[in-house]
Amino acid sequence: MIANQTLGRTEPESGEKCEYLALSFSPLSAPLCSRWRNNGLSADFLGDYVTTFFSANGDVTDTPAHQKEIKHAVTYIANEFLENAMKYHERDVDIPIGIRLELTGSQITISASNGVGAEQSDRYKAFVERVLSQDAGELLLCQLEESAAGKASIESGLGLLTMINDYGARLGWQFEGHPRYPGFQMVTTSAVLIPAQYKDANGAGVAD
Amino acid sequence: MKTITGESYEIRMEDNHSTVFFKGALRLTGVADYLPISDLLRATLVNPAGPVVIDLKELDFLNSSGITMLSRFVIEARDRTGIKLFFIASESVVWHARSLKNLQRLMPALEIRLT
Repeated sequence: MIANQTLGRTEPESGEKCEYLALSFSPLSAPLCSRWRNNGLSADFLGDYVTTFFSANGDVTDTPAHQKEIKHAVTYIANEFLENAMKYHERDVDIPIGIRLELTGSQITISASNGVGAEQSDRYKAFVERVLSQDAGELLLCQLEESAAGKASIESGLGLLTMINDYGARLGWQFEGHPRYPGFQMVTTSAVLIPAQYKDANGAGVAD
Repeated sequence: MKTITGESYEIRMEDNHSTVFFKGALRLTGVADYLPISDLLRATLVNPAGPVVIDLKELDFLNSSGITMLSRFVIEARDRTGIKLFFIASESVVWHARSLKNLQRLMPALEIRLT
């Protein structure tokens, strides 16, 4: 029996009214190279979807420059989440890859889930522990230097670090045992953006 | 003129090997897929006659694997002597302001010109 585990910051139920969009992909139907293009299409769709609520919900965001920042942040994060999920999901079990966008008046949450085996789960947890115990900016530079020196592949980690460092996202992780496939886990990674922190269109004003 | 094109992007290197233009959206799957572009960038560092210019102002989207590729190039430029490196960026492209500053932290002499 694999214990469920929550790491980082996952958001408690706020009671705020929430709009959401959820997409689900079967993991077995097409090879990675042929479905890669769909990551970009889906991420662009989620970024565009958020803009629907810019006009409908005045407190999500305001100026066109601000809206463009939010749209890009959602697209970037969704794309990275989908790329990671497509790369690292467990191919031997029929656990769908999911991505979900949630909007309240004060925050946007993007989350992605996929199935993993015990080995991949342990690797990912070890990386998450590093992220939680170190400064994301320093860790990002360290990883880039290591990558240039030809050390172990850490590409997926770089995507998560850029979300924190460049886009001010708050990340959280959930590892849950899968009810249908003993020995496998469902990993959910979530990123919370606070649109009010994107007031500075040149990116200098992102709060920690 | 050497050119690499894909469904959503185009990369051109001038004949003098000193300037590389990027256009579109780059979301390749990983370091291996970025290798042809990486090789093209590295060609600019071989006995450059003048400054090396990487023009990104029309590159609207770059995934983290692409950022890794650019970082590796910047680190290689930093570690060679006598390389003067410029990046041309745009104030209207969101990721430029957000992510290029990390490259400057890797190579403080890197100059980023915003248009």
